[in-house]
Amino acid sequence: MRPKFVVGGAVIAAALAYMIYAGVTQSAVYFVTPAELRAAAVAGKAYRLGGMVQPGSLRWEPRALDLSFTLGDGTATVPVRHKGTPPDLFGEGRGAVVEGTWSADGYFRASLILAKHSEEYKAPHGPSQAGYKELIRTLKGDGR
Amino acid sequence: MIPELGYGAAIVALGLALWGAVAAALGERTGRPALLLSAQHAAVGVFVLVTACFALLTYAFLTFDFSVRYVATNTNLGTPFYYRITGVWGALEGSIILWTWMLALYTLIVILRHRESARELYPWVLTVMLGVLAFFLLVITVAAPPFARLSPVPADGRGLNPLLEDTGMITHPVALYLGFTGLTVPFAFAMAALCTGRVGDAWITMTRRWTIVAWYFLSLGLLIGGWWSYHVLGWGGYWAWDPVENAAFMPWLTATAFLHSVMIQERRRMLKLWNLALVILTFGLTLFGTFLTRSGVIASVHAFTQGTIGAFFLSFLALVMLSALGLLAWRWEALSAQGALDSVVSRESVFLLNNVMLVAAAFTVFFGTVFPLLSEALRGVKVSVGAPFFNQVNVPLFLGLIFLMGVGPLIAWRRATVDNLRRNFLGPVLTGVAAATFFFALGVRSALAVLTLALTVFVAATIALDFARATRARARLGEPLLPAMGGLLRRHNRRYGGFVVHLGILIIAVGVTGSQAWSVQTETTLDRGQSAALAGYRVRFEDLTASEESNHFKVAGTFTVSDGRVLGVLRPAKKFYPQEQSPIAYVDYRLGLREDIYLVLGDFARDGSRATVKFQVNRLVSWIWIGGLVLTAGAGLAILPETKRTA
Amino acid sequence: MSRRPWRWLIPLAALPVLALLAYGFRVDPRAIPSPLVGRPAPGFTLTAFDGTPLGLEAQRGRVVVLNFWASWCYPACYEEAPVLERSWRAYRDRGVLVVGVDIQDTVEAARKFMRDFGLSFPNAPDPTGKVSVDYGTYGVPETFFLDRRGRIRAKHVGALTDEVVRTHVERLLAEPAS
Repeated sequence: MRPKFVVGGAVIAAALAYMIYAGVTQSAVYFVTPAELRAAAVAGKAYRLGGMVQPGSLRWEPRALDLSFTLGDGTATVPVRHKGTPPDLFGEGRGAVVEGTWSADGYFRASLILAKHSEEYKAPHGPSQAGYKELIRTLKGDGR
Repeated sequence: MIPELGYGAAIVALGLALWGAVAAALGERTGRPALLLSAQHAAVGVFVLVTACFALLTYAFLTFDFSVRYVATNTNLGTPFYYRITGVWGALEGSIILWTWMLALYTLIVILRHRESARELYPWVLTVMLGVLAFFLLVITVAAPPFARLSPVPADGRGLNPLLEDTGMITHPVALYLGFTGLTVPFAFAMAALCTGRVGDAWITMTRRWTIVAWYFLSLGLLIGGWWSYHVLGWGGYWAWDPVENAAFMPWLTATAFLHSVMIQERRRMLKLWNLALVILTFGLTLFGTFLTRSGVIASVHAFTQGTIGAFFLSFLALVMLSALGLLAWRWEALSAQGALDSVVSRESVFLLNNVMLVAAAFTVFFGTVFPLLSEALRGVKVSVGAPFFNQVNVPLFLGLIFLMGVGPLIAWRRATVDNLRRNFLGPVLTGVAAATFFFALGVRSALAVLTLALTVFVAATIALDFARATRARARLGEPLLPAMGGLLRRHNRRYGGFVVHLGILIIAVGVTGSQAWSVQTETTLDRGQSAALAGYRVRFEDLTASEESNHFKVAGTFTVSDGRVLGVLRPAKKFYPQEQSPIAYVDYRLGLREDIYLVLGDFARDGSRATVKFQVNRLVSWIWIGGLVLTAGAGLAILPETKRTA
Repeated sequence: MSRRPWRWLIPLAALPVLALLAYGFRVDPRAIPSPLVGRPAPGFTLTAFDGTPLGLEAQRGRVVVLNFWASWCYPACYEEAPVLERSWRAYRDRGVLVVGVDIQDTVEAARKFMRDFGLSFPNAPDPTGKVSVDYGTYGVPETFFLDRRGRIRAKHVGALTDEVVRTHVERLLAEPAS
């Protein structure tokens, strides 16, 4: 009986190893900076690109749900396009991490914009407080 | 004053736990009952003191004692009463206290239940439980002190993480920790078995129900976590293969394997070594999970504070794994298998295969989770693998497991004959094939969906067949039908509890398949009065309103949902918490058996004239929660004390 | 029965996994690479809380620790305030300047904060938020270490410790002035 089980085990192990190998090669996402991406961009490969949203580069078109901006790291910049609403923690002069692929047309097609924040670390909130109050007033004055 | 009391209590508890662990072991070695009794008293003392710690911390939360750093960071004057209590375990320090308290509670129950019934193993069980407790108390006193002071005292606290202001977040950690800590009990018994050399079946029999209880809480924790993710995080999914989720899923997989493999040991005296290894692995994975989520070594959306705590957990993990596996090697001779597998076509080998697949799944999850670390260490490249990897690798494994779920309980022990196979499986296989044809005719074209549904029907048919046969057998003895069914469930509660759990898993599988295959979504910007259409539903943007809540400010959209006639109004919103960098989405949804309508508010014009909304129709998601309820019922049935077999 | 010495390899099999996890500690998730590191620090002129002008231009030739904080930020800002004050006292004679920029805060709350912690190094509010935008801060606290030539050499996110300050400042002080 024993050989049968040894063979069975080996087959299972081999199948598992193959599945893991195939899975990794197909879904690996590389972490790069704009400079690294510029140096060696492969169209169609999945990247996670981190950088700062360059001031003046952000365009958001709510009708068409087109979001475009430029990510830079001080030495190189990469134009990014995304279909969908900008996440809440997103703005010019701020850091952002996007996941997607490099398009042969010369821009980065982002499928996901990651907003990350840690626990201990806080964002400015003072003036935006006042902003909420103003927003309440506008919406109330405007509502029925 | 209160914080100092809490800190003092933790230190005394640490001393007691250490003493108790040593005393129980000494008592066993020297045979002096007084020492064992002293260890027992120490354990009771630890429970009382940890309870006091927990109560004092809760008191500090309720009285807004912002001089305590942990209170100041996890609550503020606007936090509602309810969430001030749950805030106690809303972050690292408090959740460790909750964890320790549960562990102390389990220790107490072990003492009450097993001090007479498990004489030989008991002292070592106590040593291990108290040793683990001592480690957690060390964390409380040194690495993550919940009672640390903050000076000068701030006027108001920072507030609870808004994502945690949800009922799911109250029960989720509680269930999960009850599962994690509960797994310490079988581990302690396994260690006791290795220490005493009584590696027979005693420890397995004694811990069987413990394992089911822990497994059940773990399952419940995972399901509630999924529900929380679904209705709070606003991405329309319930499972993202995030490291934190994986951390809880891995011990669940190995614990499931263990629950099945013990049956072979009970029945055939096989797999002694394997079972011990599984218990050690499961316990190690619970520690690994805590290490993973608390150390910041692997980035996750649920980032917790980093600190020395990671080093603590890693050291303890190393200590546990090396000593436990060392003991295993030491007892190698006694563990060499006695029984042998008779045939490849038998219940033993089906169970074995089930175990191999579950452990393989746990391994792939582990591999994917630590992959970024691995690639950076070996190749110096930062690479991660996402959800596609986990899905691709695990789907075949889970399909295989579902298939085995149908075969395992009905196939004969030792060696299945062709006749046995035909008698038990011909009907279900035909039903499965018929189901596949039916779904295909219905227009289901995804091969994966057809296969999963057909397998599900096949397994359900095996369960129905078995239950019908057993009922008929009882009915033939003159019992009326319904009492016969009830008696069956009660009399063979473990077997049928298991079947009900399997049914729950099947329902969950259908929910997962359906939601993956048939959910649709769109994202669109609407002017006031404009509608969007999706899958036969129309959503009309009526209005945008703003309001000020006790601890946040809220902008809500009003949307009318109709499918020809008006179904209702949904109000997805964005909540702005002053302490947060970004607003929190508040999802609104309409749950249904067939599909959920799910709305998330995105961007909006400040004058309320325009709103961007994510509109999803998620199919069969409710089946997952229903499956969870069925699973709960099954686990409850299996936990019931076994009645003496009469039939 | 053989003695099977290879069974002792079982516990050893756990070692590579443990080593891998320990390796994880080497990677510091707090060291956020800033695109500004290595570049000249953006200049600014603010009015300090005591009314005197505060700018970077006049400070060429000195090592500067530039800290962004707010009174509502705790525990992190609470934890690092004593560290900053200690560093200021320890290093001011060696030509190191500690500068605090208080962002998105009220003047009263900020003054109370400085009083509570007895801060004696120069601090200025950034009423328009321009300075924090120039430095690309995500939040508070964040600290930049500037060398004698006025370039940003390091950025630290989250509460400072004595160790972090000492490491960066000693390194920058050891460099030649020009």
